[in-house]
Amino acid sequence: MTSRDRDEAKEALRKFTRRQLMELDTCAHCALCTEKCPTYAESQVPNYAPGVRSSKTVRLYNKQFDLRARLLGSRPITEEDVADLADSAFNCTLCGRCMETCPFGFQTHELWVRVREVIRDLGGTPSKVLMLEEMLEESQNPYGLEPDMRLDWADYTDLEEIPEKDQADIAYFVGCTTAFKGANHEVAFAIASILNKLKENWTLLGEDEWCCGSPLLLAGDEHGVKKFAEHNVEALKSRGVKTVITGCAGCFRVFKWEYPKLLGYKPDFEVVHAVEFLRDKLASGELNPDPAKERVGYHDPCELARLGGVIDAPREALKYLASDYVELPESGMDVRCCGGGGLLQAVNNDLRMAIVNRRLGQARELGVEILTSGCPSCKLAFADGVRESDIEIEVLDVMELAARQLGLL
Amino acid sequence: MNGIITPLYAFFVEKLPYVTIFVFLIGTALRLNRWLSAPKDPHGGRLDLVAGLKYIILDVVFFRKTFKTDKMTWLTLFLFHVGAGGILFGHMRGFKLWTAEMFSPLGPWLAEFMVHTLPVYIGWMFIATQVILLIRRGVLERQQLQSLPNDYVALLLLLITTILGQGMRIFPPEAIPTETYSVVFIPRLIVLHLEKVPSFHWFFLHILFTQLFVMYIPFSKLVHIVSGVITPAFYGSRRKEYDL
Repeated sequence: MTSRDRDEAKEALRKFTRRQLMELDTCAHCALCTEKCPTYAESQVPNYAPGVRSSKTVRLYNKQFDLRARLLGSRPITEEDVADLADSAFNCTLCGRCMETCPFGFQTHELWVRVREVIRDLGGTPSKVLMLEEMLEESQNPYGLEPDMRLDWADYTDLEEIPEKDQADIAYFVGCTTAFKGANHEVAFAIASILNKLKENWTLLGEDEWCCGSPLLLAGDEHGVKKFAEHNVEALKSRGVKTVITGCAGCFRVFKWEYPKLLGYKPDFEVVHAVEFLRDKLASGELNPDPAKERVGYHDPCELARLGGVIDAPREALKYLASDYVELPESGMDVRCCGGGGLLQAVNNDLRMAIVNRRLGQARELGVEILTSGCPSCKLAFADGVRESDIEIEVLDVMELAARQLGLL
Repeated sequence: MNGIITPLYAFFVEKLPYVTIFVFLIGTALRLNRWLSAPKDPHGGRLDLVAGLKYIILDVVFFRKTFKTDKMTWLTLFLFHVGAGGILFGHMRGFKLWTAEMFSPLGPWLAEFMVHTLPVYIGWMFIATQVILLIRRGVLERQQLQSLPNDYVALLLLLITTILGQGMRIFPPEAIPTETYSVVFIPRLIVLHLEKVPSFHWFFLHILFTQLFVMYIPFSKLVHIVSGVITPAFYGSRRKEYDL
């Protein structure tokens, strides 16, 4: 390790903030979070356990900054060290469940994102994650598809009114996973149809919509996401938008909680998840659906519930949409991740499928016929799981169920 | 005490406390420097006092999350911390921060129980919970956790210290006490007033290990005595911010 390498390693490790370093130093490696961790629970691989990640991160940090390093000089951080930590950090759905189990209340979601950032600076980011970043850079979406394909969902679903206005009160931010993944096109159609039915003054951003930047954040590229934040906020501001509605839990979290941090100010519009908007319209009587007769369950997307603060709204909406609603075990703040988050699909899809099958099993035990969620990544994961295990559960977004019960879908 | 204690024991009482305080202060300064030299959270991390306090009470005092996660570990951890608190409180009497008369209103039997009998049970409970935690760590090691050396060192030091402290209580004293006597660690600053003359070997080894333990605090996970209160306050503040 050259002195330059050492300086770079030091620089990278200095990204841990005071609170994060305190958390790492305080972690007692009690393993209380381990059994709750979806990736460990399904793999039993010790390296994926949050406490082990914490141990390894501290070891890495101490190589450069502990008392011995100060007195005798820092020890080299090897490629194996970085690869080992990367294996731990990227085999994680970033669901934040360990935060809810940690006796000390460590904010692990932020901590593990920071670990990924450090790994990135140390050159250990998995190649598939780097590819994703390249595609975002080139085409402003993580799938590497042409930006003009963003509205293809409207063609495929035969949406009649496709507003792209210069000025509007509401903007529907579709999100990449909804816009580019066929399985989610009807989610976009459902939201657009409901907005049309309500005769809202709303618009799409069309090609002007860029990825919210969530994948970059999850990859540990906080710097790179700022450009996306600035672009999207400018696109919305220029249209005089007062409310941004999104059906994607990831977009919602990033818009609502990360953009103000990244930009240093709170953009002058309200950020609302589609289920919150729907709940309000159902409660006010503006929408009157015919409740579904099937047994309906709801899976809390981690980014919407635990990490986004929206737990009650979907349940309140489902009271109007389903006559036989059942609460899944391990839900709300303690929701068991579906496996669809944290870029796990790019790194370890087998593990993602094992996690989703566990969650589907829980739904099946309750006799759930329609499993709803409020996140396109959750929907994709469940749809993949249903397809793979041949389970007879229909997977829908809450907005799709709403559109269906309103006779729009 | 002349003729009974060895020069080594005298060192533990008369000289080592200065070393202990020095090492503890240096260690604390190094730990604070380590934390403070890290960058501040650029995005704030605002502290909400009410929400912070709520989660300090729920999570630090009652171990709410552990209760939800694993009832047996909760019971062990809770009793372990009750034991630690009880023993710390008991030691305060030796330093005249409270007196046995405080329990007089409870009546002679209960006062005697509180001052002399209960501490023995608490001592056993404290030892038992430490052993359980040590076994738990050993069993889960390499499967669910990867301890750092200091995870074990801290627990072993505490266990040895507690066993020695308990030994003081249960083994008979070498000398028959005539009256309460004092052990002066640092004149006018740290003076221990003992009701009974303890079993000396256990006593002086207890003093040695207690000081080793105190010296080790800033270098170990035992920093959670302080940081473990701060982090739930931030956690509670986050929940408040997210309206959870």
